[in-house]
Amino acid sequence: MNNGVKINDISKPVEQLLRLRLEDLMPLPPPFDKEPEPPIEGEPKPEWREEYFTDLDGYVAIDLPIKPKSEEEGRRFVERFLDGLRKLTSDEDNWTFKEQFMLSIEYCAKCQTCNDACHFYQASGKKEIYRPTYKSEVLRRIYKKYLTPSGKIFGNFVSGEVDLNWRTVGRLAELAYRCTFCRRCAQTCPIGVDNGVINRELRKIFAQEMGIAPKAFHDQGTVKQLKTGSSTGLTPDGFKDMIEFIQEDFEEKLDMKIDMPIDEKGADILLIHNAGEFLSWPENIAAFAILFNEADLSWTMSSDPIGYDGVNYGAFCDDVQLARIVIKHIEAARKLDVNKIVIAECGHAHKVLTVIADRILFDDLNIPRENWLPIMWDAVRKGKFNFDPDKNQFPVTLQDPCNLVRLSGITQPQRNIIKAICPQFREMEPHGVKNYCCGGGSGFAIMSSMNYPEWRKKISVRLKVKQVLDAFQDSISPDINKYACFPCSNCKGGIRDGIEHYGLWEKCRITYGGLVELMVNAMVDIEEPFIEWEVH
Amino acid sequence: MVLSLLQLSSYVAFAIFIVVTLRTARKWASMPMHLRWELYPVPHEPEHEHGSSYLEKVDWQTKPRETTLAGELKELLMEMLFIKRVFDHKRDLWWLTFPFHFGVYLILGWFALLFVGGLTQAYTGIAIPSAHPWAQLIHGLTLLTGSLGIILGTLGTLGLLVKRLFTRELREYSAGVEFLNLIFILVVFGLGAVAWLTFDTDFSTARAYMTSLVSFSSTGIENTVQSNSILLAHVILLELLFIYIPFTKMSHFVGKYFTYHTVLWEDEPNIRGGPLEKKIKDLLTYKVSWGAPHIKKGKNWVENATAEVEENWGEWKI
Repeated sequence: MNNGVKINDISKPVEQLLRLRLEDLMPLPPPFDKEPEPPIEGEPKPEWREEYFTDLDGYVAIDLPIKPKSEEEGRRFVERFLDGLRKLTSDEDNWTFKEQFMLSIEYCAKCQTCNDACHFYQASGKKEIYRPTYKSEVLRRIYKKYLTPSGKIFGNFVSGEVDLNWRTVGRLAELAYRCTFCRRCAQTCPIGVDNGVINRELRKIFAQEMGIAPKAFHDQGTVKQLKTGSSTGLTPDGFKDMIEFIQEDFEEKLDMKIDMPIDEKGADILLIHNAGEFLSWPENIAAFAILFNEADLSWTMSSDPIGYDGVNYGAFCDDVQLARIVIKHIEAARKLDVNKIVIAECGHAHKVLTVIADRILFDDLNIPRENWLPIMWDAVRKGKFNFDPDKNQFPVTLQDPCNLVRLSGITQPQRNIIKAICPQFREMEPHGVKNYCCGGGSGFAIMSSMNYPEWRKKISVRLKVKQVLDAFQDSISPDINKYACFPCSNCKGGIRDGIEHYGLWEKCRITYGGLVELMVNAMVDIEEPFIEWEVH
Repeated sequence: MVLSLLQLSSYVAFAIFIVVTLRTARKWASMPMHLRWELYPVPHEPEHEHGSSYLEKVDWQTKPRETTLAGELKELLMEMLFIKRVFDHKRDLWWLTFPFHFGVYLILGWFALLFVGGLTQAYTGIAIPSAHPWAQLIHGLTLLTGSLGIILGTLGTLGLLVKRLFTRELREYSAGVEFLNLIFILVVFGLGAVAWLTFDTDFSTARAYMTSLVSFSSTGIENTVQSNSILLAHVILLELLFIYIPFTKMSHFVGKYFTYHTVLWEDEPNIRGGPLEKKIKDLLTYKVSWGAPHIKKGKNWVENATAEVEENWGEWKI
């Protein structure tokens, strides 16, 4: 099963610890028992090896030329890493996650009970470096050996064998992006140890101490969002134009008036989307407007910089950037004097604003924040909509976004809605709080540089593709259209990769989209089908 | 009468165990409040069987919060007593770790029964064993917990050691100290088993020694203990184990309380004007020393969170 890699191999001067091979990966269900899947291209370009850390599995998540070029740089690289690790244990620097991190570092029994909970470990054919305990154990050993009195005295006897050099640090930087901290492993731990939090804190060492993070997260992510208003680069004027375009487009398509209020002071709700929807899935924006209007909700969007983009990539590696963006979201809500912020179909935006930011906000900043699903189920329950479930007479399955379900406890409203409007609904297995990550979580869906997308397609989304195929096995023929409902922007990004890469539309007629699209598609008053049977 | 050195060492070992364990608990209890990081299902939520939380309610901030202690206790007991997660997710290991842990629980129960028996003998004059019903109850339970605890504990520890030695995924991830811990426990269990089978089959010597400890008097039983090398080695190593455990990961019974109660199940909402806001304000005055270009080193969290974006924030440096 594993490829014989040992913990301390992470420090060894070998070209790569692992080379992925198609024949090792977890098999996919029919039609892939007969249909071949695309090959693994794999190999990084030779020139990348000089500047980037290709030494782990050949894939590059950290698209910065961080490889030390001299002994002095290597030494400094290690020192900075240790400085960052030390700061994770400080009250002042890391009150945000110190307790969660330290408990998980101190008490792992190394029983490996968590292993099979990890979708990467399973999808890769149980490769050692993707075992959820692998990187945690490396970090734990470094911490024990270099930062604790017992480790300094007794060395490897108490820490376990580990050598800390620039290769160790570089490979750890890459390994930090081989886990989406979906925290499914933590659910299985008898002690409550959380490899997910260890992984997030590992990313934090690089991001907050060394300034190292994938460009998509920092330079082109949080920094761009703070500078322009959105990580997509969409400015406030651009946002207004975009909404106008979506409004006109869907009014014309559906032959109906669709109000899309912007900056309406005193509205009850400030609705915040993931700005990715404006560009990639505008039908999601239109569907929300139709539903909120039909439900007689008092709502608005904001054109304040960042107020129209709910994403917060600080969640993935950086507490300081997270706080900065949260404050901007709150400021947008205060400016409009709304009663609450409601987060649309974006799992991480929801978790950041409703759960994580709950311990950052106070006084006037502590504005109520909710997810859209309970509000919408409430409206459905109260009969605000006239649905004809027969309009959704096709097989439908539902993705449970980790941030919404396992990490926030919102599991039922989406099921109640989908059961009311989709006669052929079937669950994925497992589902609810035991779901598997979509593979696009913790920002993976937006990391698209160098050869990383191939890793995402082959490993990251593989188990989700398997789950979707399993859910539709009774109707897998391409003669039947099927809908994978993924009510989260990152999840949609993940399954979009999966559908494109494995050709699920061509081979099985599986498409994907959010929940709001299904709801509008079922509305009696809207004559034209809202769901377009294609992959977009 | 003057206490023997052996008795004194027993008091010291027990005292160290308690003091260090409490110190560890205090260390975790005094950690700063952290960002929320709960993991569902959270068993004190009334709808926890679906994994649901109060966030499923519209305007949840304005509604009374409902929790269920029964849900939490059930989950707690299933995990503590039966190690349910290992049963569900790693059955081959459960067949070893369950007997080990249950053996330890039985031995702790055995200690408690010896303690009660010691108090009974020292302060009521009722001899154990004797025809007195209370004495019969204590004696019977002591025999049951002690014998079963020794058998399960010894076999479980031996099994865990063998498993850890011969299973690659366990061996590769274990440091030397982790093997030492298992060997240490096995030796203590093993010596206890030999002492029980060859010398103290009804635990009357153990109870007599406990009686001398709870009565703070030297009754001569310590001479009996000292005259039997197996028994003496067992008592001394058990005392050393008691001293050693709280300094190691074997004290995860403390950590486990905090992983669940202050992290995974901690979902207390920060209501406007509520008690958490004061703590948050204090925490935000902490100064940060992170070194990345986008972080204002030496400034506090509020100053950092409200800083205007600068051109060099996208840079990185070794």
